[in-house]
Amino acid sequence: MNRAPLIFLGVFLALAFSWTGIVLTNQVAYGNLTPIYDDAEEKIFPEATPGVAQRGQLVYQDLGCIYCHTQQVRRLGYGSDIERGWGERQSVPRDYIREKRVLLGTMRTGPDLRNIGARQADSTWHLLHLYDPQITSQGSVMPPYRFLFEMRKIVGEASPDAMNLPSSYVDGTPLPPHSVPTEGYELVPTERAKSLVAYLINLKDTYAYPETFNVFPEEEAEAEQSEAPAEEGH
Amino acid sequence: MEWFFYAVALPFALLFLASAAYALYWAAKNGQLKEFEKNAASIFDDEEPVGEQTDYFPGRRPANETRR
Amino acid sequence: MASALRIAQSLDPSTSPTSVSRAELSEIDASTKAPALFFLISSVLWLLAGTAFALISSFKMHTPEFLGDYEWLTFGRVRTAHLNTVIYGWSVNAAFAVAFWLMARLSRSVLRHPTLLFVAGAFWNIGVSIGIFGILRGDSTSIEWLEMPSYVTPLLFVAYALIGAWAIITFRFGKSKHIYVSQWYILAALFWFPWLYSIAQIMMIFEPARGTVQALVNWWFAHNILGLWFTPIGLAAVYYFLPKVLGKPIHSYYLSVLGFWSLAFFYNWAGVHHLIGGPVPAWVLSAGIAASFMMVVPVIVTSINHHMTMVGSFSALKYSPTLRFIVFGAVSYTLTSLQGSSMAIRSWSEVTHFTHYTIGHAHWGMYAFFTMVMFGSIYYIMPRLMLKEWPSAALISTHFWATSIGIIIYVAALSIGGVLQGLALNDVENYPVFMDIVELTKKYLLSRSYAGILITVGHLAFAVNFAWMLIAPRAKSSTAPTLFRNPSSMVITR
Repeated sequence: MNRAPLIFLGVFLALAFSWTGIVLTNQVAYGNLTPIYDDAEEKIFPEATPGVAQRGQLVYQDLGCIYCHTQQVRRLGYGSDIERGWGERQSVPRDYIREKRVLLGTMRTGPDLRNIGARQADSTWHLLHLYDPQITSQGSVMPPYRFLFEMRKIVGEASPDAMNLPSSYVDGTPLPPHSVPTEGYELVPTERAKSLVAYLINLKDTYAYPETFNVFPEEEAEAEQSEAPAEEGH
Repeated sequence: MEWFFYAVALPFALLFLASAAYALYWAAKNGQLKEFEKNAASIFDDEEPVGEQTDYFPGRRPANETRR
Repeated sequence: MASALRIAQSLDPSTSPTSVSRAELSEIDASTKAPALFFLISSVLWLLAGTAFALISSFKMHTPEFLGDYEWLTFGRVRTAHLNTVIYGWSVNAAFAVAFWLMARLSRSVLRHPTLLFVAGAFWNIGVSIGIFGILRGDSTSIEWLEMPSYVTPLLFVAYALIGAWAIITFRFGKSKHIYVSQWYILAALFWFPWLYSIAQIMMIFEPARGTVQALVNWWFAHNILGLWFTPIGLAAVYYFLPKVLGKPIHSYYLSVLGFWSLAFFYNWAGVHHLIGGPVPAWVLSAGIAASFMMVVPVIVTSINHHMTMVGSFSALKYSPTLRFIVFGAVSYTLTSLQGSSMAIRSWSEVTHFTHYTIGHAHWGMYAFFTMVMFGSIYYIMPRLMLKEWPSAALISTHFWATSIGIIIYVAALSIGGVLQGLALNDVENYPVFMDIVELTKKYLLSRSYAGILITVGHLAFAVNFAWMLIAPRAKSSTAPTLFRNPSSMVITR
């Protein structure tokens, strides 16, 4: 008996069902979400991403940071994202509408980065951390990104960007000789390193949209928030 | 408002169940559910019949195999 | 096919019906030889490349300074290269070969114009090579499962269109009056893949959707690639080889059909469980969780069916390499699917989401199920294409034991490590410092590397055996093809 048309029809309907439900419905429901104009601050939120940060996002993508770092904060009471100080509130869809590519991520080998700019705004820290993660976070399994830096001969005046490396790690072991500039040389971050850091520092969802209120009963939220947020490791 | 949810959800659930039941009835009536076991045997033929294993490690056969 | 006609004509019209059907099957196998071999050789080469990338990325996870100065081999890229080589290189090539060979056999149809398939295969493999190169040089899109840069999409699409069309033509002009359940799975998979792939390409890369709609499309695609492409092809192979090797029809054909439809209707909603707790509408997540749970139905149905077919024949495992791999794969399918359903529960997802547990689960599915089934299929198909035995039984055993023990250690290490990691992540009181959690996982990551080395040994044994088989001359006295009887009345001329 030839069941081919029946099979084909069923197979088509099966995928059409989820395509309509998951993709199409949501595209219609919130695929045109717009920024919000705040009268008091006279600004639009989320704010436009500066060009240098957009270039930094491309570096973030090409190095594959997403495979160890998420960019989403889960609500209070589900996981411990907020208790860890990874954000003041849960992430909402409107936070992401300015981004060309949404990098939510699925792994937390490293901490969440959605608000890294809010909790670590020091670009020197970020550059050191990228150059050799052991300097700032000893024991980390994050790979070093020394190739984002340039060891070059000092010609004339030293560069204002030149990195100031410590002589040893936290536990006292000296930095390996090949990563410290020798006499007459200096270590400077490349444009890619600088834009990546600019991107990271720009990552912060501090504005409270209407939909972020009352996501959680207020008293309960306050009670839980009054516990001191934990310190980010190093 | 909860009654409203049930007022809508229940008829839908019943409708869905009924259509599933009808689809099954239709399939059965039209012979879509017949001859299943015949299909299961369609991968065998005279040369590779039911009851004969067709894959062995090279040079390793059960001792009691008499077929070959 | 002129040569095919000649074989058919060369047969004495008075030959018995059995040798006619024998000749027909051999002729069908022969018509698939060139393209199937092409896909299989490519897949084995990709498997080796993928294994190398896997080892490098695994070592980097616990020893970040390992090859630390090479930008091309930084973790984020080499891990991505691993995923794309084993998925689009190894798995898809192997799936194409197996799907074709099965389709031709089951439809009782000679593969027409196999040269066109070569062209398709060449396009596919060139596309994947450029894609992997692109990832390593820094063009990755950072969209999980869709990392290959957009400039290879047209190549892959053309290749796929040709291959899909050919499978359907083979099916359409087949002589078989039955549509065996394996064909249902293969036809469905061939139809689903381009739909998924093109929607994902359009809505993520060419005309990206706004905000987290992208994430929904991403996981609708990525999970369905597993559920609606690799799973059906893997199950198609199990549904054919399990009964075929045993010489015993599948326990219940009815159950296999029930399994097919429940898989088709539930699996495609399940993918969004990767976003539980994320910034997407809650109802979508609830629907995804419900669908993930409904997946228990096809999984249980399928596993009952496979188990009841096996009952009473377990001793055959000792003698058949194909059966060993297929049974290992089928059991893994059941277990990993049940694990997957459990991981969609909100409270369990709270622990396991974002941890190495998920990586263990992914390998349980893609390796312990799909890859093992493909190995088993290749052990069955190759002798029938090459008309000779596998050269070494010892290498087959090495392959089986190294990979099966390796993957068990792998999954165990990451599952335990992942749960501990997840519990620690949620426990701010006892683990306020993130680095302590990193420290906690290190020994499990190290165990994973050891498991990886064991798996590599298995792959090398397989590759050596495979290459040896390709180049070894056929012994004149052999009764090959393996396991076939060669009726003396018939001479196969190729």
